Amino acid sequence: MKVIVAVLGMDQHENGAVAAAQVLRNAGFEVVYLGRFQLPAHIVAAARDEDADCIGLSVHSWEYRHYLPELLELLAAVDVHVPVVIGGSILSPADEEELATLGVAATFGPACRPEAIVARVRSVVAG
Amino acid sequence: MDRDDLLRTESAIPVQPVYGPGDRGGADAGIAEPGAFPFTRGVRPPGAARRGFIERELSGEGSPLRSNAQLKALLAQGQNGLDVIGDAPTVAMMDPDHPYARHTVGTQGVSMCRLQDWDELYDGIAIEDLTLSHSLPAIFSVAGLWSLARRRGVDPARLRGSSINGPYYGEDTGYAVHMPFELRLRLAADSIAFAAREMPRFHAFVEDTYYISDGGLDAVEEMALGFVEIRGVIGELLGRGVDIDAFGPRIAILVNCRMDLFEEVAKIRATRRLFARMMRDTFGARDPRSWAVNITAHTSGMSLTAQQPVNNVVRGTVQALALAMAGVQAMEVSAFDEAFRTPSREAHEVGLRTQQIVALESGVTRVADPLGGSWYLESLTDELERRIEGMVEDIESRGTPAELADGGYFRGIFCAAMERHAGQIADGTLAKVGVNCFAVPSEEDRLLRDVVETRFDPDHERVAEIRAWKAGRDQARWASGLEQLRVGADDRSADLTPHVVAAYEAGATIGEMAGVLRESYGWPADPLASRLAGAGR
Repeated sequence: MKVIVAVLGMDQHENGAVAAAQVLRNAGFEVVYLGRFQLPAHIVAAARDEDADCIGLSVHSWEYRHYLPELLELLAAVDVHVPVVIGGSILSPADEEELATLGVAATFGPACRPEAIVARVRSVVAG
Repeated sequence: MDRDDLLRTESAIPVQPVYGPGDRGGADAGIAEPGAFPFTRGVRPPGAARRGFIERELSGEGSPLRSNAQLKALLAQGQNGLDVIGDAPTVAMMDPDHPYARHTVGTQGVSMCRLQDWDELYDGIAIEDLTLSHSLPAIFSVAGLWSLARRRGVDPARLRGSSINGPYYGEDTGYAVHMPFELRLRLAADSIAFAAREMPRFHAFVEDTYYISDGGLDAVEEMALGFVEIRGVIGELLGRGVDIDAFGPRIAILVNCRMDLFEEVAKIRATRRLFARMMRDTFGARDPRSWAVNITAHTSGMSLTAQQPVNNVVRGTVQALALAMAGVQAMEVSAFDEAFRTPSREAHEVGLRTQQIVALESGVTRVADPLGGSWYLESLTDELERRIEGMVEDIESRGTPAELADGGYFRGIFCAAMERHAGQIADGTLAKVGVNCFAVPSEEDRLLRDVVETRFDPDHERVAEIRAWKAGRDQARWASGLEQLRVGADDRSADLTPHVVAAYEAGATIGEMAGVLRESYGWPADPLASRLAGAGR
């Protein structure tokens, strides 16, 4: 199972992405680590080219609120049906609810433990 | 958590259950008096400690004018210094009208890109009477402040304050400016040398070990990397023929402060001692002021939790107390809503009040180095000194800083630390109340939620304003200013700072100036242009 891990726009906080990538690797996932300065089009292209099973965004800035709708639209436009999951300490329970209605497959707020992230990504990928 | 974890510090230094007079044999000579070499106990003589520390909160949001109102509000609450941070584009040396910046202008700091932004940021504020600290690209801070002072009729030599100035680690730790190592080092050295001549009270060389360490480095790694950078930048300046005592007194270190109280106090004491010996014995500084390093601190944002945010007020208090007892010259308490957002007005106020309460009510600043002589603290100070020094030697034996930076060695240290820290929280090695112990269900975690979950939008008006302003500039003057900067950059022996001042005054922006500098070194002017093209923009 292959997961893209990316950080959006100008968000330079990378802790969560690095840690989540490691957690997923340790659990047996293949991680394509895109790192910082990613725009929706970069992520969609990588998901398509890598034939990824899941897109994981680590967010530590509010930019994701603007980029996420664009990302979901682009995925639909190019007919790439890959679930998107989002994690980050800045996600409040209200944010998580909102993201679910937008079509995000899973969210990981600050209280989420590593084993829960692994289990949720597995179940999201399994559909 | 088992008993073994309790007997290690946060940096994994083993400790005994109790310490006594036999634990620190005969090394008391290394402690000396406060205000005397090697300054373990503080840089000021006894009595002076009563002046306490500069109390300030890291601030800046939206446009320079909006940030100006924020600064004035903090001053009205009793803040006695200013501490400004740029937004993500600004610290990356990009203008607010860059396509990459559009969703983040002003959301994590102030948007600064042109000379008049300095006028607006400090409008109505007596810049000669306050210390002005900046987490902004140093050469643009030094040049902007210098020009502002001159135009206001203030002698730049009166300016006090600082700018963080670290060329080595930004690309890997959140302040990437997409410039080659050689250019980053030049910008640091040029701005420090310029300030040493023109703004001799201003600390243009603040080694910021806070931001490099708040991804998860421990106290030993933090200071070892800090000293590697300090030694490298000093070496560069000496290589140009700048006298060590011309800038030595204006080196400062901005450290992190985590939750392990004694370890953080010991780290600061060990750092003062290592710095004093390094300056006197390695670099031959003769002025005692060059031996005594000013230390300021930010309390660790990473130590704060999104769960039960009010607990962060307690964490900030413990950290502020540690810093006050360590004898720092200034501090900033990270806001209790740090995990969620750019600080709210409420969180800023609590951070400032925390400092005021520690300074005025706790009495810990009454006496210099109040913890000095504690067998545990002295033993830990010695141990941290040994470990930091050992790690500096190890890193320096692995290659030149340029090789280590470009080859990914430093990035490896940062990534390993991020993974280690996440693992320690997950497995409970590092206790986090409300996270890995004593957690409460999120529906019961309501206190202060309204404050921490309030958002504000990117400052799109600022983007529009800068676009319109750029179109209305005197184009000939602007082009000439940038051309002069290009000539200065191409002359590798020139000091770039006066050229930056001239380009600023000709209407050039930080993003445009950075582009010219990159091109002079064979790099693309806009580092993210190729990524934009790849995204079809």
